[in-house]
Amino acid sequence: MSHSQLASIFNKDEKKVDWHDKALWFVRHKRDLSVHNVKGWEELRNLGHGIKAHMLSNLDNYLIEFEANALKNGVQVHWAANAEEHNKIVHSIIKENKAKKVVKSKSMLTEECHLNPHLEADGIEVIDTDLGERIVQLAKEPPSHIVLPAIHKNKHEVDELFQEHLGTKPCDGDPQYLTGEARKHLRQKFIEADVAITGVNFAIADTGGFVVCTNEGNADMGAHLAPVHIACMGVEKIIPKQEHLGVFLRLLARSATGQPITTYSSHFKKPRKGEKMHIVIVDNGRSEQLSRPDFRASLHCIRCGACMNTCPIYRRSGGHSYDATIPGPIGSILSPGKDLTKHSTLPFASTLCGSCSDVCPVKIDIHAQLYKWRQIITKETPQPFVKKQSMKAMGKIFAKPSQFEKVGKVARWSLRNLPKSLINSKLNTWGQARDLPSGPKQSFDQWYEERQNNKKD
Amino acid sequence: MGSRDQILARIKSNKPELIDLPQIDTSVFKDEDLDLIKEFIKKVEVVGGNVVEATSNADVIQQIKANFPDTKNNFSQLKDADGFNTLNLETIQNPHELKDLDVLVLESKIGVAENGSVWLADDDIPVRVLPFITKHLAVVITKQAIVAYMHEAYKKLSETKADYGVFLAGPSKTADIEQSLVIGAHGALSLTIFLK
Repeated sequence: MSHSQLASIFNKDEKKVDWHDKALWFVRHKRDLSVHNVKGWEELRNLGHGIKAHMLSNLDNYLIEFEANALKNGVQVHWAANAEEHNKIVHSIIKENKAKKVVKSKSMLTEECHLNPHLEADGIEVIDTDLGERIVQLAKEPPSHIVLPAIHKNKHEVDELFQEHLGTKPCDGDPQYLTGEARKHLRQKFIEADVAITGVNFAIADTGGFVVCTNEGNADMGAHLAPVHIACMGVEKIIPKQEHLGVFLRLLARSATGQPITTYSSHFKKPRKGEKMHIVIVDNGRSEQLSRPDFRASLHCIRCGACMNTCPIYRRSGGHSYDATIPGPIGSILSPGKDLTKHSTLPFASTLCGSCSDVCPVKIDIHAQLYKWRQIITKETPQPFVKKQSMKAMGKIFAKPSQFEKVGKVARWSLRNLPKSLINSKLNTWGQARDLPSGPKQSFDQWYEERQNNKKD
Repeated sequence: MGSRDQILARIKSNKPELIDLPQIDTSVFKDEDLDLIKEFIKKVEVVGGNVVEATSNADVIQQIKANFPDTKNNFSQLKDADGFNTLNLETIQNPHELKDLDVLVLESKIGVAENGSVWLADDDIPVRVLPFITKHLAVVITKQAIVAYMHEAYKKLSETKADYGVFLAGPSKTADIEQSLVIGAHGALSLTIFLK
């Protein structure tokens, strides 16, 4: 289904859309308050951009350096060309350790690879331990946001889910009670786990270590209790030096939620005495994205979610409407690189307002890339007949100023004089669910001319 | 060719020409008027912790005993904490045995004013899971150990080599249910910083 078709499903519940819109805008607002307090914020963003661009231009060497240092630290390193190989590697480590119970902290990569169903098919229990991820796991849904996975669910839905799966009492959606019950339920899972899987926020080439950021403490609870820790990372998570964390940890949480830093920024280097640590380095289309000069900067992404929180389309269409692991503006420039046909409507799910690029902590030119994908998609994938014809007609109108002026005049008159039943009729998609403004008497051209004439007088 | 070599070869042929690594000039971030201690206290509160002043380790222990009079399982890394510890880490075979820990007291050597975080590394945490599995966490830090920004914290860290370490800011928290902030997700339910 196209983005707009999926969005119209989300849009059926108007109250929920309003809440979703406001809640995410509030997070964006918190981001603003937080970053305005940082002296040199723009310079920090420039550094984030520059370090990532440099890293990509030397990525093979940094990966080799990272691997050598990780091996020295007593960590086992694995390489996976694609999702299937990633899943096989993780599965074989679990098998090797005769493990049955896995706890996982947030990792968009394992979502992208569909790791859970792969492991569950072999009777392995995989528990997502981030509260939001646990909620969507119980609901058998994918996350709808990379930082706030259950933002599309209201507290009453969570209440019902927990009653059904965790045996909680009805509580009218009390977040304090529900979080407390989840803490008890997941504490037990942490204690029983044989293997802990985490994602990786940053992997440091010159130390072989990696950093995982959480607010809940779930990555640490898993990794420090289970005898085996598997960390899964995309190749682009590398940064050259530890001092670069000073830049990225200042950018990440402020951009994500407005916090000055996540509660836990955990630096893993060596496994606990007598225990095992594995790192799985995954390509899965990233090296291909690297080959595209117009789109390679999408690999700078540090997964803060700021572009989602600010996006007028995302806020009103919900994460599931993107039908991709990474939704929102950044997802819309990553996904077409993986499957152009499946994701061909995503770059159009944007007003090209550029707000995403403005808030991006590593200065990815997201809206410019959305525009560039549109150029490729209209050439390479079949477009709907109506859209093609109307684009052609628009092209003709815009090509001749005199014609444009005539059409403008008719449109302005129509908006002033036609009955509402016609303006808001089904034929006019711009009139659906909104009242159009009354047409002005003058065109911009006329207004400007008049203004210039008045000046002369 | 295995996947490793295949991935590296593809990256090598697909990467752009070498782009220079930017140098970090920290002078652009410096706020000359910043009161380090005031800012640190403010930010610890922003991230959900609280700060109290203490004169000595004995004072810390006394204040904790007053705040948590009835706890059964306590552990402190402080010297001069006689009579506080109810468990002996040397007898612990498995980190899981720490699951009923009520109060934990640790010492940190770096605090960061801009975000209220404190650095805890293997040297400061005898068992890695301790600051996460405890119900309540207290961290003792001297005023001299506070730096302004993360850049300075990493400069200090470059002189040490930790096998594991964490910047910890406040108690564990989540807002995953309708964006309502709840303190106490999986980690500690409270964090108190003792400033010496």
